[in-house]
Order: sequence, then C-alpha cells, then structure tokens
Amino acid sequence: MSKFQPDAHFDEQLLKAMRRIADEGVAHAARGFSDMVGETLSMIRPHALLVPVSQLPHIFGSPEDEAVGIYLRTEGTLACQIMLVVPLNKALELVDMVMGLPAGTTRVLDRLERSALAEVGNLTASFFINRVAELTGHEARPTPPAVIVDMLGAIVDIVVATTGGFGEHLLLIRAGFTCGQRTVNADFWVVPDPATLNIFHWNESSLPL
Amino acid sequence: MSQILSVGLGEAVVCKDPRAVLVAYGLGSCLGVAMYDPVNRLAGLLHAVLPTSGNGYQDNPYKYVDSGIQALVQAMEAAGAQRRYLIVKLVGGANMLLSSALSHTFEIGTRNVQAAYSILEAMGLKVAGVEVGGNVGRTVKLFVESGKLVVRRIGGVEQTL
Repeated sequence: MSKFQPDAHFDEQLLKAMRRIADEGVAHAARGFSDMVGETLSMIRPHALLVPVSQLPHIFGSPEDEAVGIYLRTEGTLACQIMLVVPLNKALELVDMVMGLPAGTTRVLDRLERSALAEVGNLTASFFINRVAELTGHEARPTPPAVIVDMLGAIVDIVVATTGGFGEHLLLIRAGFTCGQRTVNADFWVVPDPATLNIFHWNESSLPL
Repeated sequence: MSQILSVGLGEAVVCKDPRAVLVAYGLGSCLGVAMYDPVNRLAGLLHAVLPTSGNGYQDNPYKYVDSGIQALVQAMEAAGAQRRYLIVKLVGGANMLLSSALSHTFEIGTRNVQAAYSILEAMGLKVAGVEVGGNVGRTVKLFVESGKLVVRRIGGVEQTL
C-alpha cells in the first residue's frame, strides 16, 4: 500500500466516498443506538468534514463545555477512531433512557452509569463499523470503549493527539441523533487513520452502494 | 478591560499588551507552556499537541513540544524578552483514558511533559511551576500585566499557579 501523503489526498473523490460510507454506516449506527435505548432514533443527516486540526475544539462547541465522550478504536485494515460525544446533561438523560428510569433520575455518572454509556457507544460503533466492513470487504476489530467526562477540548485532544501528527487537517464523519420530540444531541465522529483513507480513496468506485 | 487572546491547538502567542490574557482552553493530553519575562513584561503561551517533531512533518513547529518551546523562546527574545528572566510553567499533559486497551495512545500526555522537561533542560531553562498529569482537562490563563497563571478544571475549580 502506498504511503499516505498528509493533506494531499483530501480531494473531492475521497470526500464523495466518505459521504457514501457515512450515509450507510451511520444509518446502521442509529439502528444499534435504537436497540440499546429501546426507542426509535432518527439520524440527522451525516456528513463528511475536512477540519483544520487547530480549529477542531471550536467546531463542536466551546472547549470548556462539560461533555461525555465514549471512545474506541478499531484495529485491522479498517482502522479508525470512533467517538460518541454527548453534552453532560444529555448524557444523564441518556442513562435514564437506557436504564428505563424516569427522566431526571440520574444525577451523577458513577461506575454503573458509565458502564451503560459505554455500552451505548459500543453498540453504536459496532453497528457502524460492521456495515462499513461489509461494504468494503475489509476487517475491523473494535477495542473496548472508554468513557471520559470532562471539558470538550480535553475530549477532542484524544482524537487530535492520535492523528495530529499526520497533517494540518482531519477528515471526519459527523452525525447526530434525535428521539421523537427529544434531541439526543449525540455527536458521532469517525476519524479514519491515514492508511484507511487510502483504502477509501482508491476503492471509492468499487463501493457497492 | 482585559482582552482574551485564545491560543489554539498547535499555536503560540507572544504578547506585551498589559490588557491581554492569553488562554488555552480545555487542555487534555496537550501541553500548555507558559513563559513570562517579569522585567520586560512580556508573556508567551504555547499549546502543543505532540511531544517531538521527529516524524518528518515539521511544517508547524508549534504543534510539537520540543520544537514549539524552541520557537516560543525565539519569538519571546525577538519581541524583547531575555532568556535569563524567563519564568516557565507547564499545564496539561493529562492521560485522558484509563482503559488498558487504549492507554498506549494516551501516554502522549506523559510524553509531552517529559519532552518539555528535556528540551527546557537542554536550553538551560528551569520549570517554576507545574499542574500536569492526572486524567483531567484544564484551561490555562496567563495575564500579561502580572504574569499570573490561573488553571481551571471542569466544574469551575480554579487555582493560581
């Protein structure tokens, strides 16, 4: 496989491939999310973004906003970082939904509540990556998820620190979810590793979509 | 009235305007390196992402702790600071994840701190204060007028370093 050249391959062909993957994969992720919370979730149309690394913390809100990040990586030929980011107050609501509790019950995120959120991230990411693996014929193994409760900027650092050395831009898929009248406000990010971007770049025309 | 100057990822700001406050928001594994020359009243703040620039992509020195510190000292001196007066403080360098399957990624915080000590020692600069490590995010504010450094954690807890 040829070595990925930073920033050089972020062309329209790659973005087109990423949009197709986003549409298919995130639809599946929403299904996984729905199964977990026991209610039907709709996805807000996903899109592929090319983001300057330096601006990343400001694109999703204030870097000091309190948020919950549910993070995992996939290993294999489809290597990427996946992060589900939820504002802290919405994460508390999400725990109520997942655990079948009346709204407003959960006030803090202890071990049990974090475990529930980890499972939401695990299922959502697995549905996404399984669909992408089917489409591309490549393999991906998700790591166990980790749950981080902190400032949004510190959560973004996790993604940036892993990929920031490759170039001045990151290509990511972003999507949101809604549940009936309630907006879950979950942001779903997928940041492919550079070598994985190469797969998408060269195989876009062969994706069976 | 103070003027906030935000220092983004892979950026550094040098300033002598006494009304200015240099701020790096939400540092996780990233490292904030604050420098202050109290004689010439000049402040600089670096927001570095990765420890060393040895991977071949050196288009932006401020992205890395080692090259960023060197570039910041040069920029401070070019603006009128003197190296012998510089007060250096470090903030950030947290390891945000505790998951064993992922922790290798997040030793980056620790490595960022180590890289800072290493290059500062090589440059003959001592560290006057630190608020680093752990697994918490931090915002750092450097007041140009006084050199005061304030660190804020999630929940609004602030301390002066």
